[in-house]
Formats: sequence, C-alpha cells, structure tokens
Amino acid sequence: MAVAEFLYSACSITATASTDRHCSSSSFLPSKAYRLLKYHPPGLQLTSSPRRQQAFKLVCSAAPQQVEAPAPAASAAVSPSLNGKPKLESSECYGVFCLHYDFKTDGETRAWKKLIKVAVSGAAGMISNHLLFKIASGEVFGQDQPVALRLLGSERSFRALEGVAMELEDSLFPLLREVSVGIDPYEVFKDAEWALLIGAKPRGPGMERGDLLDINGKIFAKQGRALNAVASRNVKVIVVGNPCNTNTLICLKNAPNIPAKNFHALTRLDENRAKCQLALKAGVFYDKVSNMTIWGNHSTTQVPDFLNARILGLPVKEVITDTQWLEHEFTQKVQKRGGELIKKWGRSSAASTAVSIVDAIRSLVFPTPEGDWFSSAVYTNGNPYGIADDIVFSMPCRSKGNGDYELVEDVIIDDFLRQRIKKSEAELLAEKKCVAHLTGDIFRFKKCNLNGNGYCDLPGDTMLPGEQ
Amino acid sequence: MAVAELSCHGLCSSSATNGNNHGSSFLSSKLYRSSSFLPSHLHGSQFQPRQRHHPLKLVCSTAPNQAQQQSQTAQVAVSPSVNGKPKSDSSQCYGVFCLTYDLKAEDETRSWKKMINVAVSGAAGMISNHLLFKLASGEVFGYDQPIALRLLGSEKSFEALEGVAMELEDSLYPLLREVSIGIDPYEVFKDAEWALLIGAKPRGPGMERADLLDINGQIFAEQGKALNAVASRNVKVIVVGNPCNTNALICLKNAPNIPARNFHALTRLDENRAKCQLALKAGVFYDKVSNVTIWGNHSTTQVPDFLNAKIHGLPVTKVITDMKWLKEEFTEKVQKRGGVLIKKWGRSSAASTAVSIVDAIRSLVTPTPEGDWFSTGVYTSGNPYGIAEGIVFSMPCRSKGDGDYELVEDVIIDDYLRQRIKKSEEELLAEKRCVAHLTGEGIAYCDLPEDTMLPGEQ
Repeated sequence: MAVAEFLYSACSITATASTDRHCSSSSFLPSKAYRLLKYHPPGLQLTSSPRRQQAFKLVCSAAPQQVEAPAPAASAAVSPSLNGKPKLESSECYGVFCLHYDFKTDGETRAWKKLIKVAVSGAAGMISNHLLFKIASGEVFGQDQPVALRLLGSERSFRALEGVAMELEDSLFPLLREVSVGIDPYEVFKDAEWALLIGAKPRGPGMERGDLLDINGKIFAKQGRALNAVASRNVKVIVVGNPCNTNTLICLKNAPNIPAKNFHALTRLDENRAKCQLALKAGVFYDKVSNMTIWGNHSTTQVPDFLNARILGLPVKEVITDTQWLEHEFTQKVQKRGGELIKKWGRSSAASTAVSIVDAIRSLVFPTPEGDWFSSAVYTNGNPYGIADDIVFSMPCRSKGNGDYELVEDVIIDDFLRQRIKKSEAELLAEKKCVAHLTGDIFRFKKCNLNGNGYCDLPGDTMLPGEQ
Repeated sequence: MAVAELSCHGLCSSSATNGNNHGSSFLSSKLYRSSSFLPSHLHGSQFQPRQRHHPLKLVCSTAPNQAQQQSQTAQVAVSPSVNGKPKSDSSQCYGVFCLTYDLKAEDETRSWKKMINVAVSGAAGMISNHLLFKLASGEVFGYDQPIALRLLGSEKSFEALEGVAMELEDSLYPLLREVSIGIDPYEVFKDAEWALLIGAKPRGPGMERADLLDINGQIFAEQGKALNAVASRNVKVIVVGNPCNTNALICLKNAPNIPARNFHALTRLDENRAKCQLALKAGVFYDKVSNVTIWGNHSTTQVPDFLNAKIHGLPVTKVITDMKWLKEEFTEKVQKRGGVLIKKWGRSSAASTAVSIVDAIRSLVTPTPEGDWFSTGVYTSGNPYGIAEGIVFSMPCRSKGDGDYELVEDVIIDDYLRQRIKKSEEELLAEKRCVAHLTGEGIAYCDLPEDTMLPGEQ
C-alpha cells in the first residue's frame, strides 16, 4: 500500500504536458504518469486529414490494482470496443513503454543524457527489424543516451508494428524508455530529433522508373510536410527508401523550415561494400581501408572513388596497380553486390543495410577520425566540387560529432572521376525534373506531360540490382 | 610492390600452421588459408559425410597480382571448375576473412585478448541473422575480444550461408577476424570455445512429439560427438533448437569428455518475457524486475517463479497482490507470448530470441550483479532442490563471469511451486526415456502425455 500512496500524491501535481516527467516525488520510485494516446485501429474509417490535437491524457494510479488497470488498457486500446467511438489520432505508446520516468531520482540513470526521440518509418520491415534493436541497445547513440522510438507504419502493417513493439518489450533494453506506434506521420514525427525514413513502395510489375519516382515521391512529400510541421527544428533526416536521393530532395523541399543540410540519403552501404572490395583485392583486412567516397546517386551511376581512397594510409593506386580492375570491375562489383546477395539467399541485405545506417548515424554523432571522411548524399548547395546546386548528391563529409558535417575540400578529381560524376549529376537533374510537381518546381519547367506531372526523360533504369 | 615483397620473405616458408606470426614490418603478416570445399551441387555418390582430414592448405602471396589471384581463388573456390576434383572437407574460410593477422603488431589491436572461436549451427536462419551481427559488433564478448565465427549450415542452406558471410564482410566489424562456413560439424566445431546450437528440424505436418524428439535428437547426438572430438575441452554449449532441454541432454551424453555443466538449454527468452509481464502488471519499468527464475522444461510445463522474484528489491507478492493473476494468468501470458507474436506479424520472434541468447552468454562472461541471478537449463546433477538427477532443467544460477556458474541455494520453494516443478520434471524424465537410444541409456520407451511445445515455435 505504501507504494500506491506515494504515487497518488505524485499524480495530482502533474496533469498537463506529457513531457513533464519531473514529478517531485521523494520516494525512490520513479514518478509514473501514464500517457495514453488515442489510437485509430485499422479497419475503421480513416479520414485523410490528420488532426494534430493534444492527445495526451494522464491517468494516475491510486492503489496497486488501479496501477495495474491502465496498463492493460494501453494494450487493449488496440481493440476498438474498449475505446468507444474512433478518434483520428493514430499514435499509441505501447505496453510497458506507456510509463514515464524521472531519471534524476534513479541512481543508475542520473548520469544519462536527456531522452532523444528517434522516428522510424517502414518500422515493420526487415531493415527496421535489425535497426530498432541496435538503436535500443545503445550501440548507436551511446550507453548513456536514453531513446524514445516512434514507429511509423501503415494500416496494413499496423499489427506487425505491434509485434515489433512486443519484441522490443521482451528485450528489456534499459535505454529504451518509450515506444510509440502509429500510422500518421504528423503524430509519429512529433518532436523527433532523428527521422530514419526506411519505408518506401517497392516496384510493381511493369512499373517504369518515372512511376516509381512519382509514387514514392508522394510519400516523401507528405513526410517532408509532416516533419516541417511537428518535428524538432533541427531534426536530422536519413532517407533509406529508394530512390533515396530524389526522395530526400522531395522531402527537404517540402520541409522549408528545416535546414536542407540536415537531410541525408544513405550511401553508406555502398561505401562499406566498396571498402570490402578494395580490401579483398589488396589482400588486407577491411579496417585498413579509409577515405572511401561514393559520389552521386544511389543507383548504377554511383561513383566509387578509388582515386582518393587509401589503404594503410597510402593512395589505393599505389597499392592496387591493376588500373583496369579499378576503372572497370571495381564499380561493378560494388554495384552488383546486392544482386549477388539476393541470388545467394533470396533475401535482400537487411542486416548489412541496418549496419550501414548505424554507421551513418554514428558518423554524425561521433567526431570523424583525423584525416578520414565518410560518404553521405547531401544537398549540393555551396559545394566546392562544381557539382550542380539543388540536388542531393553523395559526397565526402567530416563531422565534429554534433550532428552536423562539412564537405571535404582536399580531394582530387581527375578527368575519369569528373566524367563519371557528371553522368550521375545528369541523372539526378533528370530525376528532379521528373518530380517537379512534388518539389514545387512545376512552374519552372515549360514541358509537362498530360497528367500534370513533371517531365520525365529518364534514359534507362538505373536501380541497383537486389533492391526493390 | 613493396607491400607484396615484405609479406613473402621469411614469413611464408616458416610458419605454415597457425596464424600467430611475428611480422616485423608494419604490415600484418598475411597467410592465406583456403580450405577446399565440396559445393552442394556436386553431392551425390561422391559425398562422404564424415571425413576428418586436415583441410587447411596455406597459400602464400608473392606479388600483388598473385595476392589478388589467391584471394580470388579463395572466393571462387566455390565453383568446382577451379578446384579440380572435389574434396570432402566442408569448411571454408570466406572472402576477406581468409587472411590471418598478427594482432600484436598493431597499436589498435595490441591490447586485445586472444581470439576466441564461436561456432554457430543453423547459421543461415533468422535467429542467426540477428545474432551473428551482434557477436561481430563486440556487444556480446566485449570490445577488446576479437572473434572467429564458424558457421554450420546444411547442403540446402549453403548458398544462404555464403550470403551471410558476404553481409558480414560488408559490415566491416573490426573485431570479426575470421569467418568459416561449412556443413560438417567435425570441421566447423574445431577448437570452438563456444557452440551456439540454433539449428533444428521443424515439425512436419502430422508429426508426433516423439518423432520430433527423435529426429532432432539424431542431429544433436551427432553434434555432441563432433564437439567431443574436436571442440575445446572447456567449450560452452548453448542449445536453442527445440526441444532444447532434451536436445541439450542428448548432446552432452554424446560428449563425455566435455563437462556436463558446460551445456545449457536456452530459457532466457522466457525469463525476459516473464520480467516484462511482471513489469506491465506492476506498472513499473522492466529494469526494476529481478530474480526471475524459469524452472523446468522450455515447454508448456515451464514454471515462471513469482515467489522468489523481486520488483524494486521487494518480493513480487508484496507489489502485485493479485494472487489469482500470479497463479493462473502470469504463466499463461509468458508461455503464449510467442504465439501472440506469430499472430501479430506472421514471423517468429527471431530478434528477441537473439537478444536473449546475447543475454545468456553475457550472464556467463560478466559477473552476476550482487543479489541477482539468471535462469538457464542445465544438468541437474548435484542440485540442492531435490530435482531428479540426470536431466537438463532450468534453474537459478549465478556466475563470476568466467564462463562457469553455480546454482543459487537461497530460494524458497512452496507447495505450489513444488507441484509445478514436479510436473515439468516428470515430462523431462519421460522425454529422456523416449530418447534413450540416443543417450546410450538403453531402449527407448515413449510415453509422452501430450504435445507441450510452446505456441509460436516450430
């Protein structure tokens, strides 16, 4: 009973914002405020305009039995019969994560940093199934950084999302303090400091690249607007869903209040694969390869840069003298890796993709080792390489570990590299024209095709093998 | 050119055995280890399942081109045309991992511990797909512990195994220094210090529990014999493949030279699920729940123990006063979790199972926090609880972090707990009788009352 009485006095104080966790209870128990967000179960009528109300309702416990009651309601909120008439908000905290904690009163957690919110789209998919557990374990942001995961799915994948939340519960990670699941980005992205946009629509049979760009572009336009409306003003966005460069461009164009340089398209997997191929060719262990840049689009026009790469600190061209291999086979090997993997085991490379996303995040939150750099596809405005402005192009970056980065100036670009960079740039400019209707650039182009879309003149399908 | 020349002189000719060379150059010594291998599609009458040759053939590099050719050979050893006539050894190092390194020669790695060999069966499956990356990242054994992964698959899954090795390559984990893949446990388990036996045969349609025990028992009997023959004498074995308790028993019975106490059946997932359910019921965060024991078999006779469990250091029965829930619903909720998950997303709980395997290993390699304990299915010989000897039963354990453990003496067992422990004990004794032909204990007699497989598991 002593337990319950403490809680009761704590609860009467704080009934306002859900983020206020500092119930000044003097007991050794953490303060407990239940946050129940109303949830809209799949199958009921959805209206398309999201409502962005304050959805938080705090429920306090008064006795152990009553302590127990709200928790099942959070999980039973799934069944519509308990909730009465459906509401439109669609983000729900899950199970044991519907509790709030005052870290300062807890001996172990006192030294922890302030909780950060990490939103993940496509959260019920295979890549997320690896990634979420890495984030929860502390491997990504550090062992003193508690995280709140906000998982975005679709009506179709909502139950799978619940399965993910249950597995996260069963994993008992101390740093994972909140898990919310939902299908509305305006709910899920609220106050997010990181947004990992993994979800995308796969290619259907007979779908042209122009159609793929359009369908996915719409998703990322909406997500960009949602981020613009509700996310942290300095949110870092990493786009994984393909075609990732152009999806990133569309996203940032729809989020004018968020700095364009905060948006990244993932090319780290290509960088990791390139390092592995160089290591294999040179007969060294992969930790000896550094300064590996991937230039351009995450497609078959990508440019793995052997000119500036290093092995054991030496230029690659001094270690691998087979220039023929470097100029022709190297790029192919990197690009075809995904396709080979599919052939080997019929699944796409979810595990290593998740590893590369972790690497990409860590490259921004920990200082780049002296003399090294990493690749990320970012907004080209102001770049020192002569690449066209206003596209998202993979380039070499360094970071101080503050979430930000700067482009690396001291790289050499010879004719070979320049020519290939130009080709990828041309492709990205063509993709950009094709999605002009989604980036707000429609009126700048004179040619539109009949249905009001942008102008699509994409030469060939440049999707990397092994990716949807 | 300089790179290649340094590596050849004096190094290749002298040491053709293991990888611990003392290269005096700043480059790590390079010995290529390519073992020939029998690709799956060459099987037929030529395949002999159990030849234990020394398959390791060391190839030295003499020039960059040849260095590249060798590594290519190591990679293309997969295609039979390069290898000539097929050999029957089935363990092959993979790609970039076919290089051996002198870790002492490098600043970064000088303070690392000696490399350990971790063997994993069922290595192409979903649980392994999560687990191997955790092992490679350093999360399990620590960031100063380099590891060698030895992956055991089957003929059917060999290509998938190669896919796993490729993804591990692309992940660039510094601590992951070797990856070998194969289909023969006598090759793969060689010198293993840890063996994580995840692979098992799933239940076919209409299969009775006795048949399942028999089919899987044969797999684990062979793996036990292989461990006995080639693994480290102090290898730690964690059996995940179901029915895991009896599989662990069969395995240890076939490995008489390895201490029986080294064998574990995984019940940590049940323990983690139990902690989560107690936390939900009590309205606390799960890190406040401790001393949760799972007693018995990893089946529907398992006994989640609320009597000895604690929340915030207080006995659970003082925090959760709903005795009816504790006695009736709590156990059900823990047991049915896997089934609920299958319904939610159609896949079994590979990710959280991998997490629980990591927890189980870490519980043995890091000292148990003061006052707490963990559950694992271990050999009952010498147990202080009055449980029948000679079976593998989940019980509360503590560890000093040296890979070993001791059973916890200070637990209370009341009538309720005693009765349920007895039921699980009976089941395990019946299963043991049913597999007597595999444990060398006489003629098998199967009298299994009903199917007690946990929902959501194969």
